[in-house]
Amino acid sequence: MSPGNLTIKGGFSWILILVTIVVVFILGLLASSIMERRTEATFVSTPQVAISEFEPRNDVWGKNYPREYQSWLQTEDTSFRSKYNGNAEIDMLEVDPRLVVLWAGYGFSKDYNQGRGHSYAITDMRNTLRTGGPVEGRNSPMPNTCWTCKSPDVPRVMNDLIKEKGDFKAGVAAFYAGKWEGLGPEVVNSIGCADCHDPKTMNLTITRPALIEAYTKMGKDITKATHQEMRSLVCAQCHVEYYFDKHTVEGSPYLTFPWAKGMSAEAMESYYDEIEFSDWTHKLSKAPMLKAQHPGYEIYSTGIHAERGVSCADCHMPYISEGGQKFTDHHLQSPLNNVANSCQVCHKEEGSQLMSDVYRSQDRVIENRDQLEKLLVRAHVEAKTAWDNGATEEQMKEILIGIRHAQWRWDYAAASHGGSFHSPVEISRVIGTGITIAQETRIQLARLLIALGYVGEVPYPAIETKAKAQEFIGLPIEKLEAEKQEFKEKTLPLWIEQAAKREAGYGVTIE
Amino acid sequence: MNLLQLLKPQGNWRFTASISSGIFIGLVFFILYISNATSYLSDDPKTCINCHVMTPQYATWSHSAHRENANCNDCHVPHNNVFNKYFFKAKDGLRHATIFTLRGEPQVIHIKEEGRQVVYNNCIRCHGNLITDSKLLSKTDSYHHERTTRLCWECHRETPHGRVNSLSSVPNAQVPVLGSPVPKWLKKLTSDQ
Repeated sequence: MSPGNLTIKGGFSWILILVTIVVVFILGLLASSIMERRTEATFVSTPQVAISEFEPRNDVWGKNYPREYQSWLQTEDTSFRSKYNGNAEIDMLEVDPRLVVLWAGYGFSKDYNQGRGHSYAITDMRNTLRTGGPVEGRNSPMPNTCWTCKSPDVPRVMNDLIKEKGDFKAGVAAFYAGKWEGLGPEVVNSIGCADCHDPKTMNLTITRPALIEAYTKMGKDITKATHQEMRSLVCAQCHVEYYFDKHTVEGSPYLTFPWAKGMSAEAMESYYDEIEFSDWTHKLSKAPMLKAQHPGYEIYSTGIHAERGVSCADCHMPYISEGGQKFTDHHLQSPLNNVANSCQVCHKEEGSQLMSDVYRSQDRVIENRDQLEKLLVRAHVEAKTAWDNGATEEQMKEILIGIRHAQWRWDYAAASHGGSFHSPVEISRVIGTGITIAQETRIQLARLLIALGYVGEVPYPAIETKAKAQEFIGLPIEKLEAEKQEFKEKTLPLWIEQAAKREAGYGVTIE
Repeated sequence: MNLLQLLKPQGNWRFTASISSGIFIGLVFFILYISNATSYLSDDPKTCINCHVMTPQYATWSHSAHRENANCNDCHVPHNNVFNKYFFKAKDGLRHATIFTLRGEPQVIHIKEEGRQVVYNNCIRCHGNLITDSKLLSKTDSYHHERTTRLCWECHRETPHGRVNSLSSVPNAQVPVLGSPVPKWLKKLTSDQ
């Protein structure tokens, strides 16, 4: 001990050391508690699985977003039928056999069903007679382009091809090229998460080149779209009118939206006329026909709800809350099956009143649509009669253009599905112009038939049922069904097996 | 003899005492470091989610209009003077830290009366001109009835944290997360390469 300094007695020092030991021990415990809880924070705010870029499997996304995923799974429900549509599989050719005649010579006359929910996209596409029965030595009549809207596997495969080709357009064109069976083993997951969402941020994103290209052609930049616009634009990747352009990239049916002149029936019609495009030549009338696909977005854009800034998701995927947590209902369906969460968020009327408002609109639109449909059946049959009685191409030219335009307008209205609700006035206007053109064309046909020496009414065909109508246009339905069956037995199991093998090699595994 | 002299280890115990007090002080610094203690002096909203309990409040605020102009402290600590600000902040913060450490946080966090008054005064601090009619430089007719007996958020119920209040109300929120406290150079040093 150094004298003169403050000295500490030995006993006291021992106590000091013991106290320090205890305090340091407790501080150590505090430190580990802080560390533990820091780690806890990362677990709380970190997703269950890392979703890789282009992850096509919806159940992998579902690990992180169980509420959204579980509501998406409900698109398997097929129990709802509204007055005209719903989510049940309805054989539309049976409901309305006139369609068979209108589409004679085209795939839709073989088979056309009311679409079911998104989760059936792949199944329904494999099942439809339109895609044929590809087996060894027999191709599908459809190209790979048809897969484009069916699956989150599409952006994945496109990305692979873009990398392989080293060029965006060449890669996309390579995806479209070839017959439908080409990508059968690749495209297996139904429309889901990766079709609309960025895997990192979950922001809405456009994954299909056709919409981006259409925007560019219109001089617009889709990356400037607002969040609310995106809540419709992700739907507009598919729920739009499109065609396969054979001239964009040689040898590839390039998916294109005909929006360069505008989105109205007239603007698209004049676009198609200008490039002399036709989907097929009608089997009876030999008219160069246009098939409207489903101009849902285009027609919605002309309606009052779009005008007021209501997006597709606002009604078809309304917000719901579950256990106090608000999220977007991913059970995409007719709002008529969910009036409380969709319509009644803004409209204070009774649910039944709102339903009947919609039905009244639909009833009135379909009344005129049916009239136009009958006129078109007659026009096709009368044109065939004219050909049979020796009409020349020169005599028929204008008539065939008339049939093309009238049916385009009918199809623009009919194929838009919700059109009679989304924009009843525009739909009625388009059908009105269609009726005028159809009747004008039939007057020309009547004159021509008389000039050819055909007297009297061309009889309306006996097409009361789908079977009779298909027989009338000479469709070998049994052969098509047998081919489809063969495809399901021979080709399909191989696709499923190959896909399962490929997916087993992916990084993230579930369970 | 000053205080420092008194605290300085001396005599035969000098070595042992130096080591043990060094350990003690080092540990305190370590705790300050891993608990991100200096951040509590700032106004950065990220500070409030150092522990994850306030994540719903952070996420809802960061999706609200207030994000653009107001941080957590603008509303939740008093601004009448700087001493009161830090006094209140320290008082509130230490209580939060204690409850969090003891794992006593409730599933639904409610603001206390004192905090409520602070927030209310801060509403007025920025939005005062909504309460008085500046043209007339006087209070509006309904001032007393409408504005002094009720809280702003009795009507503005969504502002800014929304209506659903629970620790688990924002399951998918993407918020900044504290990374590992191990510095990069040490990680590099201890990794396999």
